[in-house]
Amino acid sequence: MPIHEKHLIEADKIIEKEKAELEGRDVSGQWNTFIEQRILSQYEPEIFQKIYSRPEGRTINRCWQCGTCTSGCCMHTDFGLREFNPRYFIYLARIGDVEELKKQKDVIWRCLACNKCVERCPKDVRVEEVVHAIESYMRKKGWAPDNPASRWDDEYLRNVMKTGILDEISLLRNYIRDEKLEEFDTHYMMRMALKLLKTGRVRTGPVRHRTKGWNRIRKVAEEILEKDGYELKE
Amino acid sequence: MNSKNDELAFYPGCSLDGMGKAYRKSSELVNRDLGIEMKEIVNYNCCGATEVKTASYDLSVFLPSRNLALAKQMGSSAVVAPCNGCVFSLGRANRAITEDAETRKRINSYLNRAGAPSYEGDVEVKHIIEVIYERAGIEGVRRRVRRPLTGIRVACYYGCLYTRPKIYTGAGTGKKDNPEHPHFMDDLMSAIGADVVDFPLKTVCCGGGHAIADREVSVGFSAAILNEAARAGADFLVTMCPLGHMNIEANIPVIEKQYGKEVVRPVVYFTQLMALAFGHSRREARLSDNFSDAGRVLRERGF
Repeated sequence: MPIHEKHLIEADKIIEKEKAELEGRDVSGQWNTFIEQRILSQYEPEIFQKIYSRPEGRTINRCWQCGTCTSGCCMHTDFGLREFNPRYFIYLARIGDVEELKKQKDVIWRCLACNKCVERCPKDVRVEEVVHAIESYMRKKGWAPDNPASRWDDEYLRNVMKTGILDEISLLRNYIRDEKLEEFDTHYMMRMALKLLKTGRVRTGPVRHRTKGWNRIRKVAEEILEKDGYELKE
Repeated sequence: MNSKNDELAFYPGCSLDGMGKAYRKSSELVNRDLGIEMKEIVNYNCCGATEVKTASYDLSVFLPSRNLALAKQMGSSAVVAPCNGCVFSLGRANRAITEDAETRKRINSYLNRAGAPSYEGDVEVKHIIEVIYERAGIEGVRRRVRRPLTGIRVACYYGCLYTRPKIYTGAGTGKKDNPEHPHFMDDLMSAIGADVVDFPLKTVCCGGGHAIADREVSVGFSAAILNEAARAGADFLVTMCPLGHMNIEANIPVIEKQYGKEVVRPVVYFTQLMALAFGHSRREARLSDNFSDAGRVLRERGF
């Protein structure tokens, strides 16, 4: 079959079919192709079921794949990380394409939770929560390693669980130490600390703000974490 | 007007007792000047922000619900939070509790076991700027101005979670701000005499969610915001969220190195500028708390 106006087609989009027949007619020769033919052999419907069964992922089935979330997404559009595509994450989780989902492991954790997608979704999908549900499911299954954001969240929770109130300074200090972030060298940290000390924002000594009766509340919190299968590392 | 049910409960959140002290002190000044009374929630706990919900849904509803339940116990019909993150997670808890009976039952059993009263999701959540706008009004603010900030050009930066998403914050309904085009801060800044520049990035994300975890992103967004403020000819970037404020300010040294000094503008809380306009000194507004040198610009302009 001849292709007219071949110059409009990119060379790598033309394929050669040596013996092709369609309804009894010979259609061998050069063909133009937009999408490579591929066969999806491994898929897991369980992914959708698991995400849907969690309260934060409950809205995944409302999605009609319009892409409004992606078009306004601050990571995709403003920051320009084209691989970050919430519509696609939802698509993959719904069809259960494990292989393709695994390829998203270095991208999906970078959601900043700015909630523009949730605000704009015409079908009321809580996109941000669904994306986070997919991300943590991937980590639980071992398809994705821990990432800087999940380690930050862990450190945050560990900090809150101590007294019920977050201590920003020890959170920053511990995280920067554990991640060995070179950007924040001793000089930078000293300058910050001096400023905070001067303006009375560092609580000197071991006394931290504490929610009264926190021990009792913490017991309940620990119970919830255990129920949800989250391990609080010390 | 100040019947018991009308009383506002103030939820400072962890930032205002830590890094955001300037925000707290200047808010107190502004509230006092405008005659807005709030009673602080005693013995509050962290609301979990956007971090805890990746660990557990129930915990991320339980933590803010406890604060809302305490506010209810105080006889308040509304909780006032100064931080966008707190407004988000408190509003999210309200939504979770009202929309699903199962969740409500679960959370209430946790609350009772933790020694807190039950909660039905009926305390309204407000950002402090909405309270100032609603209670004092533009006219009320204008009347209180002793030293208008004439000639000071400001870019108002609202940040992401103040109105978003409307299903949690109720934006666009009743007396709430517009979800896509918020204007309360613009109006308040005009009322104290400042020139508000057109600022298209007012609701863009600052990258604060991953302030340290994803440096490329948080520096990138902070730089874009400051750059746009500079391009619009603003003297200040005015903020209303302690996390966004800290994130942008702490990134300034890096931004200076990467993009040059000329893109950087000092960052101040809107309450700091309001306190100045109401006649308080720079010291009272705690301008020296800011990492960026806001005091110098004001001094040059004779304030």
